[in-house]
Amino acid sequence: MKSINLKKNQFIQFHQKISFKFDGVKYFGYKGDTIASALLRNNINLVGRSFKYHRPRGIYTCGIEEPNALVQIISEYSEPNTRATIKKIYEGMEIESQNRWPSLENDFGSINNLFSPIFTAGFYYKTFMGPHKKFWKNLYEPLIRRAAGLGKPPKDFKGISNHIHHNVDITIIGGGLNGLLAAKSFINSNYDVLLIDFEEQLGGIINNSNKLSSIDNKEPKDWLKETIQEIEDSKNIKILKNTLVTTYNYINHLIAIEDRFVGSKPIEGKVNSTLHKIRTGHTILCNGHIERFLSFQNNDLPGIMLSSSFEKYMCRYGLAPSKEPVIFSNNSNSNSLVYGLIKAGLKPKAYIDSRSGEEIEPNLFDLIRKNDVPLYTNSQIKGAFGNKKIEKILVEDSSGALNEIKCDCLCLSGGINPDVHLFTQSKGLLDWDEKDLTYKPSKPFQPTITLGSASGQFNFDNLNSDINEKLKTFKVKKLDVKLELNTNTKYNIEKLWEVSPQKKSLWAKSFIDLQNDVTTKDIRQAITEGFDRIEHLKRYTTNSMGTDQGKISSINALGIVSDLLDKKVNEVGTTIYRPPYAPLSFSAIAGRNCYEFYDPERKSPIHSWHIKNGAIFEDVGQWKRPWYFQINKDESMHDAVQRESKNVRENAGILDGSTLGKIEIKGEDALEFMNLIYTNSFTKMKQGSARYALMLGEDGMVKDDGIICKISDQHFIATTTTGGAATVLGCMEEYAQTEWPNLKVFMNSITEQYATFNISGPKTREIMKKAFPNINFSNEEFPFMTFQFHEFNGIPIRILRASFTGELGYEIYIPSNSAPKIWDNIQSVGKEFGLAPYGTEAMHLLRAEKGYIIVGQDTDGSITPIDLGLSWMIGKSKKDFLGKRSLARPDTIREDRKQLVGIIPSNKADKLEEGQHIILDKEIKSPVPMLGHITSCYYSSTLGHDFALAIIKNGRSMIGTKAYASTSSMGTTGVDIVKPVFYDENNKRLVS
Amino acid sequence: MLIINCPYCGPRDQSEFSNGGEAHVKRPDGSKEIGDREWGEYVFIRANPKGLFYERWVHTHGCRKWFNCVRDTSTDEILVTYKLDEKKPNLNNFKSVVKTPSGEPEVGSGNFTVEK
Repeated sequence: MKSINLKKNQFIQFHQKISFKFDGVKYFGYKGDTIASALLRNNINLVGRSFKYHRPRGIYTCGIEEPNALVQIISEYSEPNTRATIKKIYEGMEIESQNRWPSLENDFGSINNLFSPIFTAGFYYKTFMGPHKKFWKNLYEPLIRRAAGLGKPPKDFKGISNHIHHNVDITIIGGGLNGLLAAKSFINSNYDVLLIDFEEQLGGIINNSNKLSSIDNKEPKDWLKETIQEIEDSKNIKILKNTLVTTYNYINHLIAIEDRFVGSKPIEGKVNSTLHKIRTGHTILCNGHIERFLSFQNNDLPGIMLSSSFEKYMCRYGLAPSKEPVIFSNNSNSNSLVYGLIKAGLKPKAYIDSRSGEEIEPNLFDLIRKNDVPLYTNSQIKGAFGNKKIEKILVEDSSGALNEIKCDCLCLSGGINPDVHLFTQSKGLLDWDEKDLTYKPSKPFQPTITLGSASGQFNFDNLNSDINEKLKTFKVKKLDVKLELNTNTKYNIEKLWEVSPQKKSLWAKSFIDLQNDVTTKDIRQAITEGFDRIEHLKRYTTNSMGTDQGKISSINALGIVSDLLDKKVNEVGTTIYRPPYAPLSFSAIAGRNCYEFYDPERKSPIHSWHIKNGAIFEDVGQWKRPWYFQINKDESMHDAVQRESKNVRENAGILDGSTLGKIEIKGEDALEFMNLIYTNSFTKMKQGSARYALMLGEDGMVKDDGIICKISDQHFIATTTTGGAATVLGCMEEYAQTEWPNLKVFMNSITEQYATFNISGPKTREIMKKAFPNINFSNEEFPFMTFQFHEFNGIPIRILRASFTGELGYEIYIPSNSAPKIWDNIQSVGKEFGLAPYGTEAMHLLRAEKGYIIVGQDTDGSITPIDLGLSWMIGKSKKDFLGKRSLARPDTIREDRKQLVGIIPSNKADKLEEGQHIILDKEIKSPVPMLGHITSCYYSSTLGHDFALAIIKNGRSMIGTKAYASTSSMGTTGVDIVKPVFYDENNKRLVS
Repeated sequence: MLIINCPYCGPRDQSEFSNGGEAHVKRPDGSKEIGDREWGEYVFIRANPKGLFYERWVHTHGCRKWFNCVRDTSTDEILVTYKLDEKKPNLNNFKSVVKTPSGEPEVGSGNFTVEK
């Protein structure tokens, strides 16, 4: 195919040469070129290999609908499947063709084409079934993936995208003739308007075709310039260019993607695409139409192109891909191409029309006759032939005779479809137009207006009245635009979906989906095999399931199916058009919500100290908590945890508990409210005392636990688990608002306002005395489960005597800003007593030795307080609290519920594993009755062996008996079921 | 995504809200004897109609207030929002004008895009 440059083009800067590389070879294009137009300028049309058969493929279209010309942009993180027809070139761009090896010209995979008679629809489903399930995963799938497919995944992708929100009255999608006219009516009105166009230049068919000869008695280009200026000057209209609307959601919510680097290389570290999230009152769809292709033998050869695309290359890119293309059409849409070619001094090699001479527009007839273009009416192309490019075609003329025409380019037009993709995404209904042979928008589901060819108006006669009628709900001025056309025609089309090949051959292929290599034969076969419902057929044949979603072919498929089934197309229906309209990258969807911004990281005020002191962190909810502290790089986690826990038992340890949820509850009715929320009764509790409390769901299951400090009947401070803080606050608010709005009570999170340090161990009292010399820490003055407010160096602090380790312990609550100061002070005075920090893992071990549960680890939403042996925490005299009635449900009073017990290995040297089942038999013989499972399991250096907590059926009655725990090596370990407390059962150390 | 009209803050994006399930489910009075069935229905049983539905929402990332609404579960349209202490609107006041988009295609699941 020999292309020629048509100088005189306003969009291509012919003085500005740009060099780029395609498959390693350097070529030149001009500023304004897309990859496709630049390649065509260099007479390259073979740009890729097809998905399944590795057939040579060329540039088929000139826009977003492109099925074939997908390339990998090496110079942009190796971005795959980029449409060559829309991506603009820039200096130094590197492009690679896809799905070929070792080279595009000589592709090994094209051997698939030889075997193609067996690669029919459902081939994979039927073939790769046996002999074993594993064959698919380990052999077939990797092989098929290697052989079939599109581009390779990008490497080290670092594209940055941001999100912008819009809230407007009207969004006009498409800045073509109708979009501009609609926008023009809104100039200086009271509506906020957003005009979105996918291209760099507004204008649509004014730029892309030869259809219009004048608008309002002006040259279309001059009118366009003036109109755009007027729209730009209007303060209420904002224009987004290079922006593609991909998604039309409920409630007029649109998503559009803007390319920020059109025609230049994205700069690393800069936002290269913007995702626009648009809320709009009304959406006006002016997104035009898409031309269809036609199916005949080898309709995929490089050199075959849609006729409107050829025209667009001429008008928009100053390039005729071929000097003398053959045109094959069944409708009037390609008239303007004939006109454009002749105007440019070129001549079609032949014009072939399936319509009869009477149906062909008289002025086209005259034009063709006058210029001696060979005309074939009532004729069809039986096939195209050539080696990696089109060389000749076979035409069956009206007499049935076969004519061979040598050519290097074939322009196809199978009719046009309104681009209904967005309209159907919005759930609008379509209707089949038997005259124009296409689906057209009928009933909108949302406030959606369609204009121009997007609404199925393929003629220009009613332009003004149609727009005025559809925009009459708005207070805007009426339009009166005068249009004159070059090819004065009404849209006319004859039904033609497919031309059957001349010779029947297993290798003859008429494609219906170019991207997924689906042939019309596959459609026939699928119907024969019973897949006659259109959605089944789509999935079985993979028709229109490529990244182009069959934009130029899906209606043809419906036509073929309707003929085969002898049904109307309306009865066949259409498959669902799903968002996005065209692929958009995950990075665009993620926006800035990635890497460190993916999920907020919450850090305690002591975080930097932890880092300096060798902390290894664990994620607890969004919090970063020290898991354990490494004293040197070689210390293993096990060693660190044992060292830390031993130090707590022997000396003292300090834990940063700042992440604990803290909720302040105040109000006249705070006491009554707390009594309703928690299981415990707080009525008789003294001021200044604290209580371990449980919170249940209405189903009676343990939801959260914490320590409640009663400052007065009107003022409480509750702690929650680290992960449960938001839920607990949410639950309190819900009940305060919805169930007990009569109670005067307010609650607020104070989690981040206060840091919490838990110091525990036998030497804690000495440390506290030294750290806070003016406070009396004696047992009499400061008993267990009480708290006191103090001031230390001007800092208000609250100290609570409580413990989660079983040792003497205090919790200090300090305003976050002052926390590091006090933390450092405690560290320095504690040194002589052996105070060392410990992490969450040692804390878990220490609490498990005491049998203290962790909600969410030892409970799983199906465990009541009774199951945990915590009946003493239930305020039985209380009339009501969350979940109270559920504790007397038939299910919760069952005898054989799972209950919390302790487990130790019968042979002390044996290991236990978390999550393993407790069973009765040593031998595992299925079915194995499962009693329950191990919820927490640790090695304790204090005990000298493994121990575990478990929830098992009727567990309390089994205490003192033996059972077995399963192991990950499919064996069993003998275990003793014991009370769930392993250390200091009488709490002597706690209250010492 | 929906736009929800918070009775306290005005129209806001759905992402600011959390759904709280069926509205106007009365919690049985704990001071009285409650039968197993009555309690069980309160805890576990909720209506799940296709069509108009009283529903609770909370403006989680906003004023944190709970409120009620009437939502058409077939179209997702929220017809009215009202404060907790307001009387619940009569469902007869609302009509589902549009046929449900998910609604009962005669042939093939895709066919709802085609007008019959």
